[in-house]
Amino acid sequence: MTHNITRRSVTGGLATAIGALAAPAIVRAQAKSVKIAMIAPMSGPWARQGQLLKMGSDLAMADINDGGGIKSLGGAKLEIIYADAGDTTEKAKNAAQRLVSDQPDLVGGFGSWLSSFTLAVTEVTERASIPWLTLSYSDAITDRGFKFIFQTSPTAAQQAEKTLPTALDLAQSTTGKKPKTIGIIMDNTASPIAFAKPLKEGGGLDKLGLKLIVDEIFTPPLSDATPLVSKVRSAKPDFLLLLTSAMPDCKLVLEKLDEFGLAHGKIPLVSNGAPFGSPELLKTVGADLLDGLLFSVANWPMKGQEKFIERFKKKTGEAFLTQDALCGYGHPQILAAALEAAGAPDKAKVADAIRKMNLTTGPAAQCFPGPIKFDDKGRRENVPIIFAQWQKGVPVTVFPTDLALAKPVWPSAA
Amino acid sequence: MRTRAEANRQRWAIAGVAIAVLLLSLVLQSAYFEQVLAEVLLWAVLSLGWNILCGYGGYSSFGHAVFWGLGAYTVGLAMIDLNLTPWVSIPFCAVVGAVAGALIGYPTFRLRGHYFGLAMLAYPLAMLPIFNWLGYQELALPMKRGEAAIAYMQFDDPRIYVVLALALMVGALAISLWVENSRFGMALTAIKQNEPAAEAAGIDTWKWKMLALMLSGAMSSVAGGLYAVLLLVLTPDTLFGILASAQALILALFGGVGSLWGPVIGAFVLVPLAEGLNAQLGNVLPGIQGVVYGVAIIAIILLAPEGVYWRVLDRLGRGKKPAPRGETVPAVPAAPVIALPHPREAAGGDLLVLKNVGIAFGGLRALDQIDLAVPEGSLYGIIGPNGAGKTTLFNVINGFLTPGSGSITFDGEAITGMRPSRVCRRGIGRTFQVVRSFSRMSVLENVIVGAYVGAPDDTAARNMALAALDRVGLSARADAIAGGLTTRELRLMELARALAPNPRLMLLDETLAGLGHDDLDGILGAIRQLRADGITVLIIEHTMQAMVNLVDHFTVLDHGRLIAGGKPHDVVRDPRVIEAYLGKKWVERVAATAN
Repeated sequence: MTHNITRRSVTGGLATAIGALAAPAIVRAQAKSVKIAMIAPMSGPWARQGQLLKMGSDLAMADINDGGGIKSLGGAKLEIIYADAGDTTEKAKNAAQRLVSDQPDLVGGFGSWLSSFTLAVTEVTERASIPWLTLSYSDAITDRGFKFIFQTSPTAAQQAEKTLPTALDLAQSTTGKKPKTIGIIMDNTASPIAFAKPLKEGGGLDKLGLKLIVDEIFTPPLSDATPLVSKVRSAKPDFLLLLTSAMPDCKLVLEKLDEFGLAHGKIPLVSNGAPFGSPELLKTVGADLLDGLLFSVANWPMKGQEKFIERFKKKTGEAFLTQDALCGYGHPQILAAALEAAGAPDKAKVADAIRKMNLTTGPAAQCFPGPIKFDDKGRRENVPIIFAQWQKGVPVTVFPTDLALAKPVWPSAA
Repeated sequence: MRTRAEANRQRWAIAGVAIAVLLLSLVLQSAYFEQVLAEVLLWAVLSLGWNILCGYGGYSSFGHAVFWGLGAYTVGLAMIDLNLTPWVSIPFCAVVGAVAGALIGYPTFRLRGHYFGLAMLAYPLAMLPIFNWLGYQELALPMKRGEAAIAYMQFDDPRIYVVLALALMVGALAISLWVENSRFGMALTAIKQNEPAAEAAGIDTWKWKMLALMLSGAMSSVAGGLYAVLLLVLTPDTLFGILASAQALILALFGGVGSLWGPVIGAFVLVPLAEGLNAQLGNVLPGIQGVVYGVAIIAIILLAPEGVYWRVLDRLGRGKKPAPRGETVPAVPAAPVIALPHPREAAGGDLLVLKNVGIAFGGLRALDQIDLAVPEGSLYGIIGPNGAGKTTLFNVINGFLTPGSGSITFDGEAITGMRPSRVCRRGIGRTFQVVRSFSRMSVLENVIVGAYVGAPDDTAARNMALAALDRVGLSARADAIAGGLTTRELRLMELARALAPNPRLMLLDETLAGLGHDDLDGILGAIRQLRADGITVLIIEHTMQAMVNLVDHFTVLDHGRLIAGGKPHDVVRDPRVIEAYLGKKWVERVAATAN
């Protein structure tokens, strides 16, 4: 009975009043907390990313509960269970299995940063019908026909597809000219290869009217970037796509560009992925060399989040907010919004609420570019890709313009 | 080799453990615990596979993840690309593992000891970039629903995985038990304890090592195949990573290397411990679980360096050597060798012929233009000062070394450059200057290893070994562990080992060295008896006195050349021999006294 009342309280304005009248009964029946979970690597090589996620989610939990909990559940508090995904898929899957076994009343969860961990974890959560949110990029996550997985980031393939056109738009809107030539420096590991394949072999560059005039592939680790960069110097492409997966390689290329007088935007640099905006990269490479580097990313601090960014920096002592902590904040907010809509601490209803969701305002929607709306596969529709640029030691969102915190710099090639 | 009763006891133990695991899986009410239990069983199978080669055969491998990962990817790719059910692909993993074992063993068995172990490390590490490059960095087994789920090994009830994994573990234990109790296990143990001695005793070490690696690989791959079904998501890092290789090794080290139960004990203690620590501490004090795990392993290694299993056995007092055999055998007889019922006829003619044999190590010509003919039925001695090349000569004859030039024929057949085990099979036995025993095996087992060459089956080998022990008068010590024997007993045991397959030619390398006067007589008697039994004996010595009275033909080797030969009493007067032994001054003095 209480369930009926609470659901109506969300859907109808009139029912809100009835809900308010019924509140004492609801408090008695439902004020016990509602459990969600985060599984992320908190030990091993990816521990830092797990910690960032947790920093964000700790803030979200405080905001949700201090703001009165889940109102449709009579102000029920949200409770989060953290589990360590460790450093192997086995550990990640065990963590998920343990959560599912120990916490039969979980209504949702999110994680686990690394795509392979997310794949393993969702094998368990899918079978347990627990709605699961993730920021992981891999297309495989939402290609398996799962019903309870929701991917808030554009997939790797979508990012590869959107990065260059968006970069061209950015260039045109800044300089009024469209770049005509491109150089690519990449290593031969899996994700750069997957990123570049549709561009080079699938005719992606032709479609964009770009001529590939430098095409350099190396096997990491790079020992000397001179041969790569000297080709760039002599060919002078309108911009350079840099796809490296190890920080030392990235550093070598940037240093060499600097040495050859091509840095600081002489040749605009474009890349992809959140690691290009990490504080670790700043520590390794330094603010000076990074200045001007543009990278596309699934999610990055945007306009409207200024207060939150300041609060985050103050609370955690981090230099700046990144994708991981932002999603760590956003995912509990999505679950809270879904619970609010579902009106019942029930995983099936929460999953339904996420499927029907179309959020454009509120704390959850503010955390992600584009509306929060998922298609049948569990992917978000019509999501713009974000471009951030290193400016004075901070990677700031510069494109799309309506989300930007700063103006992009795209120096026209001399 | 265990007795039949012991093997039966082990079979019951395996059945008992299987029932206990089944009961445990019924009691556990959580899908999580069932999953961990299934993982424990699979890691145990991987470690049992590792134990075949590395525990029994003594060849440490730091790279068993290569088999584990190949098995897992076989199942994953078969399902994704061929829509093949794991029910078919998991058994097929045995083939994959065996083939991988053969391909890896072929180049890698050229190395020994730590070099082999480290080279093995390369294989899984090489797989990492290969599988990444192939685009298999994240392989998800497609989810099957409804009827298809069972056909594709995807069960809702996690206990079924436990049952499947348990079946694999019981299978792995049965295979290990069979290996322990067969010629295979005996050969591996011999290889582990002294590979050259095993080869010289006629064990085709190459073949057994390859078979061990193939079996080991097959077992590990099958376990990896089921692991893929359990995990559903395959990544090269998880499967080929250093952690998986280390796991196979650590579990066995912890539980007891080279024992049937060691890997199982290791898996049942360490896997849940690690998982429990992850679960309890992973999100509280990230990283501390690894520290606790490491400390636990260090503590165990300090307290029980050979592993829990052996430590417990020692505590229970069952690991001690068994009591001596029931029948009492009189103390060692003076001339212990009992004559064969039908001594071989001395056929005359030359049994072993060396023509122009030479070998050089760098600039040193260790053997130079050696021509030697050993008549069948003779007792032929070769003497020479230290460093003359005597042992090198034996090593060339029995195949440890391949001569740089010349030819060696045995009974008319060329044996130049043949592997020692083949040479042994032709009927040439040998002993070593420094006894090469299998020190942790019993005397009888030592001799059985030698008997295999001439025995059609295990029972025959045992009987031949007992007969050989009888012949050298060592029956009373048959059950003693070789490591505890006196020098004289060791010499006799080595003699029995070489004698067991009834060779036609015996190469005795300084058999008399380091023996006291009383012991000497016993051994000399034994050697004479060999000849009386029709066995041709070629013996090396550097002490001339004993030899002069023993042999009927004598050759002197100096600086890699044969400098004199003939009847013993003639040879000792040869000036070149005196010079070689005593120096030029003595030649003159002898010449003076002769005049």
